[in-house]
Amino acid sequence: MSETRTLPLAEALPGMLLAAPVLDAGGNVLLPAALAITESHLESLRRRGIATLTISAPAEPVEPVDIARKREEVRARVMHIFRHTVDDPGSQALLHAVLAFRQEQLK
Amino acid sequence: MSEQPTLRDMLARIQRLPALPAVALELLNTLSGGDPDVASLARRIAQDQAIAARVLRVANSPFYGLQSRVGSIHDAVVVLGFSAVRSLVLAAAVVTGLPGGHCAGFDPSRFWRHVMGTAVAAQSLAQRLGRPPESLFVAGLLHDIGRLAMVSVYPELFARALTIACERDCSLRDVELEIFGFDHTAVGAALTRRWNLPEEIIDALAYHHQPELGAPGGLAPIVHYADAISKALDFEEAEDTLVPRLHPATIDALGLDWQGLSAVLADTQTRFESYRLLLG
Repeated sequence: MSETRTLPLAEALPGMLLAAPVLDAGGNVLLPAALAITESHLESLRRRGIATLTISAPAEPVEPVDIARKREEVRARVMHIFRHTVDDPGSQALLHAVLAFRQEQLK
Repeated sequence: MSEQPTLRDMLARIQRLPALPAVALELLNTLSGGDPDVASLARRIAQDQAIAARVLRVANSPFYGLQSRVGSIHDAVVVLGFSAVRSLVLAAAVVTGLPGGHCAGFDPSRFWRHVMGTAVAAQSLAQRLGRPPESLFVAGLLHDIGRLAMVSVYPELFARALTIACERDCSLRDVELEIFGFDHTAVGAALTRRWNLPEEIIDALAYHHQPELGAPGGLAPIVHYADAISKALDFEEAEDTLVPRLHPATIDALGLDWQGLSAVLADTQTRFESYRLLLG
């Protein structure tokens, strides 16, 4: 999930993603939406006197500690369900696939 | 143990149990093939409102992604097909028609969540492996039906089995064998034989814990894996859920690779969210 925000050109950095096309005074598209801007784009926009950009801002990142804790809870629960068969050859594929599936669901 | 019943005692007493609704038995018999009178069956299903309402709840769930609401069993058959509706009706009939009785420590909701999870996992495995999805859904749905019969006929003995399994943190099936001298697989097979179910379903019930003993090419290996998948995905929502021991050669022989297994898990989870609507 991401939201958009408008930045003064001076604060824009290479790698940011445009949420809306950049237009010149005549309404012509200089750069399309969804473009990852580069230093040379920024240089060109400065030359053309563009003042602001609308970029996609990633949503507030989840605290890494939080993610790590949830991953550990999920892992512990799966290992508990498999507590008698964790070393069984017949269970290995299912155990690891369920661990991966549960971790994927956290994203 | 003098109070230990025999399987024969058990089966004699099963006759006093509430049976499945007649229309469900008829539907089960149409699994063997033949040319069912779909219109007449649909009319009869519609007369059982408890079943029809549950079926329509699932038919209208996001899993089927229908553009407009299905309002009757007849419409559900037209839109989803007879086979899909038959599976749903059987599931609803089994859930509503076979109450768990009163047995200390036995949680019917937990039981049905596990059963429904096994049925949808078996269906999902079937589609992935090119096996018959409907027979496997039904086999999953009925795989632990013997346990329900044991709960109803011998509630005190079964309560003791549950307590011991909990105390020892071991498989309930091992304790069934110890206390009763037989387990739920034998009861389930005998019960479904009485219902005249197709032999492949009886075989799957009888051998879902020992798939290596089932009929070659039979359904037991898939129900064996589906049972474990349902436990592994935590559908029971119970603290002491325990994945049963899997038979390695059986699992290998299914030939399901990592990608296939991952897809089955995701698909099973999605199906479960819809099918659990049958539970009430």
